[in-house]
Amino acid sequence: MSETVTFKLNGKDVTVPKGTTVMEAARRESVAIPHFCWHPGLSVAGVCRFCMVKVEGRPKLEIACNLQAMDGMDVKTDTEDAKSAHKWALEFHLVNHPLDCPICDQAGECGLQDYYMSVGKYQSQMTRPKVLKPKMLDVGRDLVLDTERCILCSRCVRFEEEVTKTGALGIFDRGDRAIIGTYPGTKIEHNYQTNLVDICPVGAFTSRDFRFKQRVWFLKDKPATCPGCSTGCSVDVYGKPETRTYFRVKPRQGEANGHWMCDKGRETYRHLNQDVRLRLAFTTGAKGHRHETSVAGAIEDLAKRISSVNPASDVALLVAAQYTNEEYKSLFDFFVRDLGVKKVFQWREPTEKIDEFDGLLYRGDHNANTRGLQDALKEAGLPAGVKSEFDAVAHCGAKIIIAITPEIPATFPSFDKQVQSLTELEFVSFWTLAGAIGDNKKVKHAIPMKGFAEKKGTFTNHAGGAGALNSPFPSPVTDGKDISEIVAALKNWRHSHGSR
Amino acid sequence: MAVVKVAPPPHDSNIFQAGWGYITTIASGMWKTLVIFLKQLVHIEKTNTLEWPEQPSNYSDRFKGKHFLTLRDDGEVRCTACFLCATNCPADCIHIEAGNHPDNHLEKFPVRFEIDILRCVFCGYCEEACPVDAIRLGPEYAMAGTEGGKWVYTKEYLAERKQLSGGVVSVKDENEKHPLLETPKANRNAKQVKSYVRHGVH
Repeated sequence: MSETVTFKLNGKDVTVPKGTTVMEAARRESVAIPHFCWHPGLSVAGVCRFCMVKVEGRPKLEIACNLQAMDGMDVKTDTEDAKSAHKWALEFHLVNHPLDCPICDQAGECGLQDYYMSVGKYQSQMTRPKVLKPKMLDVGRDLVLDTERCILCSRCVRFEEEVTKTGALGIFDRGDRAIIGTYPGTKIEHNYQTNLVDICPVGAFTSRDFRFKQRVWFLKDKPATCPGCSTGCSVDVYGKPETRTYFRVKPRQGEANGHWMCDKGRETYRHLNQDVRLRLAFTTGAKGHRHETSVAGAIEDLAKRISSVNPASDVALLVAAQYTNEEYKSLFDFFVRDLGVKKVFQWREPTEKIDEFDGLLYRGDHNANTRGLQDALKEAGLPAGVKSEFDAVAHCGAKIIIAITPEIPATFPSFDKQVQSLTELEFVSFWTLAGAIGDNKKVKHAIPMKGFAEKKGTFTNHAGGAGALNSPFPSPVTDGKDISEIVAALKNWRHSHGSR
Repeated sequence: MAVVKVAPPPHDSNIFQAGWGYITTIASGMWKTLVIFLKQLVHIEKTNTLEWPEQPSNYSDRFKGKHFLTLRDDGEVRCTACFLCATNCPADCIHIEAGNHPDNHLEKFPVRFEIDILRCVFCGYCEEACPVDAIRLGPEYAMAGTEGGKWVYTKEYLAERKQLSGGVVSVKDENEKHPLLETPKANRNAKQVKSYVRHGVH
C-alpha cells in the first residue's frame, strides 16, 4: 500500500507517499512556498492563487496546494516567472487591504507583512481608491471581524464547515464587494472560535481577549502543555518576560490536538498573572497571629510542625491532579515512603463529569494529570480511583493537612467553598497559586507555587500520552516553588535536624 | 589648506621688545573688558547676555527638547497606540496602554501614554518611528525640577500643557471618515485648538 512517488523539487529528488501534494512535500522538505488559503488542518480550496510553482514541460504555472506530486515531475519554486507570480498575486491581495497596521493586532505576525518583505516589494500600480467595507463587527464572544482586512482566503469558512461543523460563516456578495460574515441574526458561539483568529493569515479576525493588550513583537512564546483538561493539547504560552506578564495561549501542532485548541484552554494563562497570584508565604504564630514570611521560613515552620507529631497518623495530604508526574513522585517518595503517611486524598470537583467529551478536544475532566496522579498513587501503594474526598479529609483526624490546591481555581466552581471548609480544620497548609487563599483571613499557612509555564515536568493525558513542560518562563512570583522544591526543602530540614 | 587667523604669540609682539608682549596683551585684554563694562553700564539693552529665565531664549523648532503629542482637529490626540515609538526607543522610556475608543473611527487609542523623562536620551527616534506624526520633540529645553517633581509625563501633559497654548494640530490631519462606521451621537466636545505658535512655547 505504501506506494511512493519521486519527483524533483528545486532540483532535489524528493520521495513522498502517493497522493501527497507538492505543497505538503515542500513543507516536509522545508521549502517555503508562499500561501494564504492552504492550511495543513483544512481541505484544499485553491482560492488565493498565491502558491504558484513552475512545472517543467507545462505551459502555465500551477498552484502547489492542489498539485499532486507525480513521478518524474520537475517542480521549481524559484524561477523568475514563479517569483513574479507571487509578487503580483500579493499586489492583488493588497488592492483593497486598508493598511491600518498601526492599529491592527495582527501586525508582526501577519501573512501580508511577511510576504511583502519576502516575495513582494513592488511599487503599487493601483490608482483607484480602496473599496471600504464593514469594520469592527461583533461576530462572537471572542471575535472582532474587520471585513476590510480580509483577503477572502476562506480558511475560516472551511474551519467552520470541517472542524466544528457549525457552518456559521459564509462569503457574501461578489467581486471586490465580497465579504466574510455570519448569517443574519447569528453569532459564533462554540468553544473553538479563537482558532479562527489563529488561522486568519491577516488581521480580519482578532481576539477580543488579546485585543490591543500588547504588540506581538514584544512577546516571547515558549512551548508547554495545556493544563486546562485531560486532553493535554500542545500549546505555546505567550508572555513578556521583562514584566513577567502572560498574554495568551495558542495551539502548537501536536499529537493530542492536531492544529487546534479550545477557548477554555486559552484562558489558562490568566491564573498565572500577578494580580491573581499568591505572592507571599504566610504562617501563623503560637498566639494565633498570622504574619507574612519568606517561603523558606514557611517551609521551616511546616517542617517543625511535622516533626512535632507522628507523621504516619497525624499528617494527611490532599492533592489536586494538576501537577506534574515528577512532582507527585517526589511528594509521595517523601511523605508516603519516608514518613509513612497513609492518609492521602484527592482534591476533585464533586460535581465533575469526568467522561464528558465534546467530540473535538475539550473533556469533562478539567485536570491535566488525572492519570499521572492515579499512576503515582498506585506506585506509592495507595488506593487509587478517581473520587472527590473532602468528607474523608474532614473526618480523617489528622493534625496537619497539606492541601495542594488545584493550580487553576477557575476550573473548580467549588474552590472557595472547599477552602473555606478546610480552614475549619485544625491546621491546613495550603500549597497554592491562588491569590484568593491569601485573601481568606482564616487560612493559617500558605506557600506560593509555580505555575505550569514556570516549571519543567510531564503530564500524562487521558490516553496515556506524555505532555511536556520544558521551557519555563521566569515566574512573576519570584519565590514560588514547585512541589519537588518544597519537598526537597522539608527533607533538608529533617536531615539537618537529625530526624531520619 | 584652511588657515585660521589667530593673534601673534605674545613674545613675537613688537610694541616694545620680546618679553614685554605679555604685559601689553594683558593690558589690552583688561582694556577691552573695561570698555565693555562701561558700555553695559550705560546701554544695558545692547548687551548679548540674556536675563534668563525672565527673558526667554528660543531655540529652533528643530531642537529636540521636551516631547509633545499632536492633536486631531477635533481635539483628540493623534496617537493610535501602535507602539512603534516604544519599540524604537533605545532608552525604553515610553510606556503605552492601548484601549478601544468609543468612537469607531478611532478604534484604538492610548489610554495611557507616559514618557519617563529621566530615562529619555532625546534621540528623536520616537518622532521618526511615528507613522501618524503624533509625537514630536519640541523646542522646550528647560526641564529642571526638584526631587518631588513629576518626571513621568502623562498623556494629558504631553498633549495639553499650558506652554503648548492649546495644543498642536498635526498638519497630517485628514478629515476622511469611514462611511460604514457609526459616529456616536454624543460627539466629543470639540476643543478649541489654537495653532502652534513657536514663541508661545516656553
